Amino acid sequence: MPVKKRHPKLEDYSHTLRLLVKNKLALVGMVITIIYFIIAMLDVVYPRYLGVSSTNSLLAFGIPVSVTPVGPSFSHGFAGLLGYTEMYSLQFPLLPISLAAIKFDMGYSLFIVMIGAGIGTLVGAIAGFKGGYIDEILMRVTDVFFSVPFLILALAFIFLLGRYIIMAVYALLIIWWPIYARLARGQALYIKSMKFVEAATASGASSARNIFSHVLPNVLSPIFVQISLDLGTIMQLFAVLFFLGVISDPYFPELGNIINQGQNWLGAGLWWPVIIPGIFILLFTISINLLGDGLRDVLDPKLRR
Amino acid sequence: MELRYFIIRRLLLLIPTLFGLILLIFFLLRMFPDTYLVARYINPKSSVPVSVQIEQAKAALGLNYPIFIQYFFYIKALFTGSWGTMSTSIYTGPVLSGIELYFPATLQLAIFATILSIIIAIPLGTYIGARPNSIADQTGRVFSLTFYAMPIFLLALLLQLVFGKNVIVGNPLGVLPIAGKFSFNAIGAIPPPWFNASTGLTSPTHLPLLDALIHGDWALAYSSFIYLILPVVTLTLSLLAGILRFIRAGMVDSANQEYVKTARSKGVPESLVIKRHIRKNALIPTITVLGLLFASLLGGVVVVEEVFGYYGMGMLSLSAITNVAIYGVLGTTFVFGITLMAANLIVDIAYAFIDPRIRY
Repeated sequence: MPVKKRHPKLEDYSHTLRLLVKNKLALVGMVITIIYFIIAMLDVVYPRYLGVSSTNSLLAFGIPVSVTPVGPSFSHGFAGLLGYTEMYSLQFPLLPISLAAIKFDMGYSLFIVMIGAGIGTLVGAIAGFKGGYIDEILMRVTDVFFSVPFLILALAFIFLLGRYIIMAVYALLIIWWPIYARLARGQALYIKSMKFVEAATASGASSARNIFSHVLPNVLSPIFVQISLDLGTIMQLFAVLFFLGVISDPYFPELGNIINQGQNWLGAGLWWPVIIPGIFILLFTISINLLGDGLRDVLDPKLRR
Repeated sequence: MELRYFIIRRLLLLIPTLFGLILLIFFLLRMFPDTYLVARYINPKSSVPVSVQIEQAKAALGLNYPIFIQYFFYIKALFTGSWGTMSTSIYTGPVLSGIELYFPATLQLAIFATILSIIIAIPLGTYIGARPNSIADQTGRVFSLTFYAMPIFLLALLLQLVFGKNVIVGNPLGVLPIAGKFSFNAIGAIPPPWFNASTGLTSPTHLPLLDALIHGDWALAYSSFIYLILPVVTLTLSLLAGILRFIRAGMVDSANQEYVKTARSKGVPESLVIKRHIRKNALIPTITVLGLLFASLLGGVVVVEEVFGYYGMGMLSLSAITNVAIYGVLGTTFVFGITLMAANLIVDIAYAFIDPRIRY
């Protein structure tokens, strides 16, 4: 009986996955990232798992008591496991609000990175493949974007668009495509000079066909590495924007927002309002970096075995 | 080609980037509706009808000209120093003088952090990169990954928690002040003439440490040095982590090259192989990312200024945003852009110095 052969592309993916799993650190990063995804999705599938029905505002978690927030302990049930924080004279249990914040942090950073990568890759691939003045214009535009520090540019665009969450997302989208455009352009220039593209052009392939079936698939692996590294960066940037108080939504479940309010307690020697949400950010950014480094090692044709 | 020509060419390339930057700032300005820009010139109590006032203000601001003519007007305004005025909680007056007051503090933090992290990163990276997978290497990797991934505000708050004076009662490490530029006790009852009590700034450089040294005030110099430690350490740790990652990767990468094997087989001492053959080549990819790292450092400066209350241009920019001062936001963004451009210029020149192949 003939062995059922799998599609070669599928075989390639499973080989990549096997290599990734072999790398211990990358495996740890992948597992933690997946746990974060599950936490984020859990809220969508079963919204009441945190004990409140609406998690779009932190107000649902608020408890009106006027005592100093208590620290992490086992005596307050699941909600009080990691202690309490106080914002605007309401107390909030840190574990549920951090879990609720993960959904928004992950969702928005994933959205920004994916859309930014999509637009940037397409623009960069077209510019690199077409060359000429399109390429020249693109390079000058990206130069301008790279001439201002990311955070400052994001602040300026948020100021222009309005200090709301969705505007922060748009602002980050505006500044986050050029990095992919450059990456894709460089890769497209390299692929353009390859023999198989020449052969395709000689046999009558249009440039659209060349871009979609030859350039884009070959651009993808460095883009994936960049995406996985950028997820952490964007999450940090997003948290920083909230931390600086630029976004005016005091009860939005966001880790930077929670830390911003929690730092008022630092002077009183309470560490948990800052450190607990901080650990949630840090764990994610570290694991996504580990995953990204692992992906780079696996996808790099020079290192791949 | 000679290095000289490379530098001249690189300087000329600054011009289009500068005009691109101005175009971006101009774009941000013109995206606001005309009424937004005109509003401050309207006096509803005046006897002149409001519609006439609007027309006058539009004519004064040049809003009636075609957009590209306005761009040239804007360039002229930028180069002649009329950057508009701002009115915020920390500073009120012309934007350019505000930047002159607060920019030195920002530059000081950035430069101290950059110099310190380069001084530490090169020997440390050499040591770690020459011993891949040793205990030192693993420790270094954990360190650099953690601080690279940590949001800078978290690092700043963590350092405040551990080293801040009076933050945790009975903490033996808590000796450093957590907010401000210097202790007002160091100023004394009668402030010196070079200290402006209303802005809290010193002249002529507006940097307390440097000014105190210039005027020979040792107590203030010591105080401002102590206050500088935590902000600079925060920035240094985050920049150091980034640089260390790249030096280590570069060292491991170039250690496998053929020329290293050649050098070893012809009997070059190991320390020289590491210094001349491995490290020199490992620095090249590190320098290319230094520009990007500096961009994130400048973002970090804003956060550090906010957390440590170290008033600089980042705070000026934030206060302009919260107080809706358009020209303040644009001016600070422009200066941050110029700073990054200058940093990239220095990086490129350093690159040409280190890598003899870069001459075009």
